[in-house]
Amino acid sequence: MSLKKLRIYNNLISTPRIIITCLSAIIVRYYLMMSKYQSVIANHVEVSTPLNSWKRVSEGLYLLSLNINPYEGDLLHETPLSLYLYKNILQVFQGKIHLAFITLDVTTAVVLYFTTKKFTEDLFVEEEENKATYAKDAEECFLKPDKLFKSSYYVLLTYLFNPYILFSCVGYSTTVFYNLYLSVMLFSMVHGIPVLCGVFLAIAASVSFYPVVLVLPITMYFKYAIKSHTKIIVNLTSFVVTSLLIFVLCSNFGTDFSYIRSVYGCILTIPDLQPNVGLFWYFFTEMFEHFRELFIYAFQINTTILYLIPVSLKFRKHPFLLTVAVNFIITIFKSYPSVGDVGFVLSLMPSFSHLFPFSQQGFLVGTMLVISTSLAPILYYLWIYCNSANANFYFGVTLSFAVAQIFLLTDLLFSQVKRDYMLKYGKDRKIDGEEGILCLE
Amino acid sequence: MGLLTDPTTGQGKFIKILLKYYSYACMLLYIGGVIWFLALAYPTMNANTYFSENALLPGLVKSQFREDREAARYHEELLDEMNKYHDSIPYSWLLAKFNQIGLDTYTHNFTLTSPFNRKDKFSGKNVYGILRAPRGSSSEALVLSTPFRPSTSAHPPTAPSVAIMLAFAKFANREKYWAKDIIFLITEHEQVGVQAWLEAYYGVSCGSENILDHGDLRGRGGAIQAAINLELHSERIGQMDIKIEGLNGQLPNLDLFNLASKMCTKEGVYQTFKNKGPFYSRKPSKEWLNYFRNMLSMMGTQATGIPNGNHGLFHRFGIQALTLEGFEQSRAKGSNKIWFVGTGRIIEGIFRSLNNLLERFHQSFFFYLLPSSDRYISISIYIPSVCLMIGTMFIKACARWFKLQETSCKEMSTETHSPPVRIDKIITTFLVTHFFGVLVSNIPQFMSRYITSLSVYETNVKVFYPLLACLVQLLFIPLFIRMRHCRKSMELLNILAMLELGTVLICISMNNFSLGFFCAIISVPAALLVNPSSCRICSYFQRFLWFLVHPLIILTVAVMINTYFLFPEERMKEIVIRGWDATQQSVIFSIVDSMVYGNWLYGVVTNIFIPNWLCFWIVSFCVFKEDEIDTEKTEDITDKDIKKTN
Repeated sequence: MSLKKLRIYNNLISTPRIIITCLSAIIVRYYLMMSKYQSVIANHVEVSTPLNSWKRVSEGLYLLSLNINPYEGDLLHETPLSLYLYKNILQVFQGKIHLAFITLDVTTAVVLYFTTKKFTEDLFVEEEENKATYAKDAEECFLKPDKLFKSSYYVLLTYLFNPYILFSCVGYSTTVFYNLYLSVMLFSMVHGIPVLCGVFLAIAASVSFYPVVLVLPITMYFKYAIKSHTKIIVNLTSFVVTSLLIFVLCSNFGTDFSYIRSVYGCILTIPDLQPNVGLFWYFFTEMFEHFRELFIYAFQINTTILYLIPVSLKFRKHPFLLTVAVNFIITIFKSYPSVGDVGFVLSLMPSFSHLFPFSQQGFLVGTMLVISTSLAPILYYLWIYCNSANANFYFGVTLSFAVAQIFLLTDLLFSQVKRDYMLKYGKDRKIDGEEGILCLE
Repeated sequence: MGLLTDPTTGQGKFIKILLKYYSYACMLLYIGGVIWFLALAYPTMNANTYFSENALLPGLVKSQFREDREAARYHEELLDEMNKYHDSIPYSWLLAKFNQIGLDTYTHNFTLTSPFNRKDKFSGKNVYGILRAPRGSSSEALVLSTPFRPSTSAHPPTAPSVAIMLAFAKFANREKYWAKDIIFLITEHEQVGVQAWLEAYYGVSCGSENILDHGDLRGRGGAIQAAINLELHSERIGQMDIKIEGLNGQLPNLDLFNLASKMCTKEGVYQTFKNKGPFYSRKPSKEWLNYFRNMLSMMGTQATGIPNGNHGLFHRFGIQALTLEGFEQSRAKGSNKIWFVGTGRIIEGIFRSLNNLLERFHQSFFFYLLPSSDRYISISIYIPSVCLMIGTMFIKACARWFKLQETSCKEMSTETHSPPVRIDKIITTFLVTHFFGVLVSNIPQFMSRYITSLSVYETNVKVFYPLLACLVQLLFIPLFIRMRHCRKSMELLNILAMLELGTVLICISMNNFSLGFFCAIISVPAALLVNPSSCRICSYFQRFLWFLVHPLIILTVAVMINTYFLFPEERMKEIVIRGWDATQQSVIFSIVDSMVYGNWLYGVVTNIFIPNWLCFWIVSFCVFKEDEIDTEKTEDITDKDIKKTN
């Protein structure tokens, strides 16, 4: 298929349709933000964690305006640079934060749309090139351009109307900013702009620390998808330089390091045990104090590097999937996750629509997510307000939420393995006349 | 790692089995759930109650309450005062008594605006006195409350409980061992008074805006740990009933119930739960029946979500509370009656135990069912019954989903062209029904706020009939939905509706097990039978069946049955008229409750159950051409033929 024809396919969704979708998303968000539900949503622990609640940010800004160091207390866990950014954004939007949040959220959606568009295009081109090497009876699972190129629109739709993202935007959680950094990072990665990619990776890492591990998948992307060694080097340098720059700016040219304890100390040692959708809070409330350090190491290694290397080795040929998967792992296991993070990875799922026929647990995962999401606020209410349920009930729900996400991730990765196998060896999976079993190795 | 091996291995078989037997499995699970529930009342399934909180040390102190003469005198005086003021609280007398005893005494004013008529306002006054803890820092408090009922009240009198409360206050004020404040609270207008006082104590509003103006309190104690509400109808008590069911089906900690029941037993009064005392029988069947009846009666009260005493409003604030209701007549044969000394000592015993508490109630159970006052069923025993029933929804949805996948795969291979599934349309339909639900739930507020010209009419005309009209109109929704001609879309909508029903039922049974259970036992079998089908008779039958489980119909039937049992001597016509009136009243009361107390039953039914009901209703109106089915059948046959030839 010629490139021109491909472009035509890739523009199946007309621009007015995208604009209408964005507009309706803006209306929904605006309505929710103006209604009485805004404060209800913003106060939910699933939406606002100590790390991303807007309440803390405004408190920090107020302290800053009084010339008090906001990091002296145990209140603020945002970097000085983000604080400076929020201050300026408030000035630009003249204090109308809801408009700022809506704008950023819709921007993220559009960036993700263009990211997926490029990704699917690349995917298709790659398959066209390699078709000769595929098995004969594998035609069934070849990419279907009419379906494949719609997936970018579905990404846009799922991002804009994903309840998790909606709540996180309406609840003014600063995850909206973080999602924007990540989406720009993915965008520049897919489009092969190493400088921008490095810059936004550094920003995302400075906000939440965990994205540091994304360096490896991004390097894989530049190596295997773009196949340019200079770009790897440029990307790494820009990441290092920006990180240093951020460090210098945040520490006020090497004079004030108090933010490090508040931001990274909080992320890594989990001093605030307010419940959230993650798994850390429960373990560290139940744990004896002298085991704390050991388990902090165990948990953080689990989040960052335990899965990184095996997954990177296995999926090096599919670096975009790898990036999303590593990001997904971070989201599941990080110390203070919120539904905004989960929503971000979930809304990227439609870009892997070619893997859906191979997935097995879609129904199970969907049901688990729905049940755990609707039970969580109820059990939290029973625990905290009515004093009748207890922490175990709520933890049960967050555990099943995490399990659902893990199922989804493994299912997705395994679908890719199955698809690869099918393309290479065809539909038949018989070994010596018996049904073979595929393993992830 | 198990997770990372191929999920298809073995699962293909599993799905095949599921597809083949899912309807039997659903039926079995449902029946299993019912049997499990029936077995709950069997003595081996439930256990004897026990004290989990050691700090309570129930009944270990020697009772010293001796103020029975004072109580009798207070009672006499109060009756005199009540004759002077026919329908209001004699607060000057009460204030004088509290002051005399030496408590910090305050009054509390509140105003209730009628939810349906903004011009109607009712005001009330609560009186309360605080006994400051001599051995503590006033950081914790206990409440002894009693509703004041004027002599014109329709409810049985509570003057004796006011008298015993005053006498106990006098006794308690002399003692030096109190480590917690004791708040003596006398409320007016039944539950509204307590609700207003609690809202004022915590400075929050629970119901709709501008309905209950809770006013302000001038004096407060510490954080309230527990509350005992007294409803003694006589000076002599022959039977003490303990009431626990609270707002939205919340229950107090089981330890508090045990404490109260133990204290009653210690003083030798016949102590009952749901009007039934401890029951022992050698015949297991008789024992089972008795337990079962008692459990069902508790669940009936719990399911309504309406508190059966003033204690029920404390629960929302994390305060453990119950009501002691004393009757002169006893159901037990030859039981003795206790006088003011005995009741005073029961109260003394309970409060001295509560005084020992080091932490707030956190042990024992908060979720339980009581088949008798000395047996309990914990959540881990009773929740499987409802989970088994709800599980059928998910299993059926799962099976249908895989079936749908299978047929679409087949179509792909045979390349027959069926109309494409429009997922966006299905989701729109789903959302539109929920939008209608939100509209319905807002009708009462809308009617009362904007249509003031209607205020001449009665509330049932103003609120109930518009609601009814809306619900009837919603019945015609399926006629406007085009995609009911597409089998697959209807299947998907059906799956979506089943998942929603399952999720909602789980959420409700976590909050209020009884309500969740009753909803499940009625709606699950009906929902299992609703399928998109081409058979005319089947679909008519489905519609009829599903119509019967409309929330309003269920309510009407329940109220009718209740009316029949209340007035068995009346003729059928009379009963129907009475029942219909009572239905209207119950709907209006549930709306009022949601606005004043924040009872969520009305909101849940209109926002979730009715839209969900509509989704199934649309599915039951599904019409599609039969040849689609025929082709499928022939395909099946050819498949079988092929297998045979193989």
